[in-house]
Amino acid sequence: MEQQQKKESKQSEKPQYIRAYAAMVLSRTLDKKIVSAQRQGRVGFYTPTMGQEALQVGVSMALEKEDLVYGYYRDVPMMLHRGVPIETIINQIMGNSADTAKGRQMPSHYTSKALHFMSVQSPVASNLPLAAGAAYALKYRQKKNVVVTTFGDGATSTPDFHAGMNLAAVFKLPLVFVCENNGWAISLPVERQTPVEISLKASAYGMPGVKADGMNFVEMYKVARAAIQDARAGKGPTLIDALSYRMGPHSTSDDPTKYRKDDVKEGSEKDPLVIGEKLLISMDYADDKLLEKIRNEAVKTVDERFDACEKIPPPDPITAFQDVYKNMTWMLEEEVKDIL
Amino acid sequence: MTSKTMNMVQALNSGLDNLMAADDRIILLGEDIGTDGGVFRVTDGLLAKYGAERVLDTPLVEVGIVGMAIGMAVQGLRPIPEIQFQDFIYTAMDQIINQMAKIRYRSGGEYECPMVLRTPYGAGVKGGLYHSQSGESYFAHTAGLTVVTPSSPYDAKGLLISASKGEDPVIFLEPKRLYRAGKQEVPEDIYKIPIGKAELVQSGDDVTIITYGAMVPTVMDTVKKNNLNADVLDLRTLVPVDKDAIMLSVQKTGRVVIVHEAPRTGGFGGEISAMITERGIDFLYAPILRVTGPDSPIPYRMEEYYVPNERRILNAVRKVLESA
Repeated sequence: MEQQQKKESKQSEKPQYIRAYAAMVLSRTLDKKIVSAQRQGRVGFYTPTMGQEALQVGVSMALEKEDLVYGYYRDVPMMLHRGVPIETIINQIMGNSADTAKGRQMPSHYTSKALHFMSVQSPVASNLPLAAGAAYALKYRQKKNVVVTTFGDGATSTPDFHAGMNLAAVFKLPLVFVCENNGWAISLPVERQTPVEISLKASAYGMPGVKADGMNFVEMYKVARAAIQDARAGKGPTLIDALSYRMGPHSTSDDPTKYRKDDVKEGSEKDPLVIGEKLLISMDYADDKLLEKIRNEAVKTVDERFDACEKIPPPDPITAFQDVYKNMTWMLEEEVKDIL
Repeated sequence: MTSKTMNMVQALNSGLDNLMAADDRIILLGEDIGTDGGVFRVTDGLLAKYGAERVLDTPLVEVGIVGMAIGMAVQGLRPIPEIQFQDFIYTAMDQIINQMAKIRYRSGGEYECPMVLRTPYGAGVKGGLYHSQSGESYFAHTAGLTVVTPSSPYDAKGLLISASKGEDPVIFLEPKRLYRAGKQEVPEDIYKIPIGKAELVQSGDDVTIITYGAMVPTVMDTVKKNNLNADVLDLRTLVPVDKDAIMLSVQKTGRVVIVHEAPRTGGFGGEISAMITERGIDFLYAPILRVTGPDSPIPYRMEEYYVPNERRILNAVRKVLESA
């Protein structure tokens, strides 16, 4: 009986893990594509996500379809795993007429209401109080869903981090805080950001704080699943300190050689994708052939979609001035007349 | 519709009550608004009536109150947060400017942020530097916000209801000096006063006095006491301002005095003045004058020297009337 259950769980686990790996690979492939396109002048700007794939996919694996994500500007792996079409991301990066926000936001600021991904702002951590409000709305409506909010280690120094954490704890909200602790806030190392381990901050708010190996998608999934289950069961919020590494620069405008030596090289033992591959092989869920097939498919998908999206024309200039209010004000109408 | 004599606090309370009774998406949140009923008693009795799930006594964190309300609005609720004094709103300015005002725009209209942020503002209660400020210009300068300020109990309730029924975030500035300054017959049921429309409080031919919020009664007292033949316009909404009402009056009188309590430099009066000259300098017989608070913080003991008064308003009116 027990063996039977184990076998069944293995049967459902295998495709789940393969899908997770495929999302990581797709994200990594897209990441590199965008960075190289940026260097060629085909893209204006980008914040790479390389190194944070496992942690994000691990969280995403633990979410249900109707759960909400109040993320930040480095959450491409999570979006792809959740099923956000790759075009949504590329079109946003391009700021073309097919972009949800009509090219209004600089690259890396995504929106996908269909997949419950809140639109991303630049100011760090200001999504956290919003996430508390969203979680309150779910609780008020007695929905069995949760909110996950993501942020970097730099965010833990902000007033909004404190506000969001405290409110979530006081109102016992179905909210999981995921600190994507990649070790760097642009040039400042996490040791200089805060002298305590980030997971310990949770105790100041009376909520559990857990450390997770964010480089291992299975470990991350297990930690996220426990926290999300608690939130869903009405036990309140958890802070997850997801230890990972920002393998790329902060953005395409940043030169990390000024402040650090790269210590996680792509393809090395510490690379979350390499760790993932080893896990899948050790579990007997995949072999080299399958992994290679996934990698090749990702390259093909990214190249095709990227090229197709690049052909989409820029937005109509009028759209730059719409959606400020539901209806355009007379002031803006007048100003637009002067501009266009 | 039955009505009752109410001061502004009672009228706002009645408006919130009507809104909450009609729509379970309305959630109130703020400091001391529940058990205590708010430091000015605007939310008095609503906790008992609607419960702690809809009237939230929050921790002392303006950035959290506003941020949380935005998250509620984005997820389909209709929050009405209160910031205890407008002077304390500044830690929440990032939330107001970078979140609240930009949700619709940055999400391509996928997400919306319909909410009303209420806060008492202005001098006149001996509050000194930190309980007296008039910061309407900070909000008026941010695209995406609607800025409303009532000047009477009747307007306060009608404008609050309109603000809450809209689809965009509204900064609702309550002139605290008028909270208990006077009573008026106010309908007990729901009614609306349109956003974006000024009110011609009194009609006259010689001069247009444009004002809003707590300065409206001061202007009206001055006009009555001195038998001024003036158009008095209460803007009610600063953004979007009612240009048609302003220009109609300016065209008639050709002389304009703008009165507000906020400091002159960068104040909303400058915007109105520029708007009038851009559109109708040919109508003007005299320079547009502003009577405003000075460019200083608001003093405690010497408050009466700060707030525009009858003498200063009258001086400005006489000056524009004397101009050729």
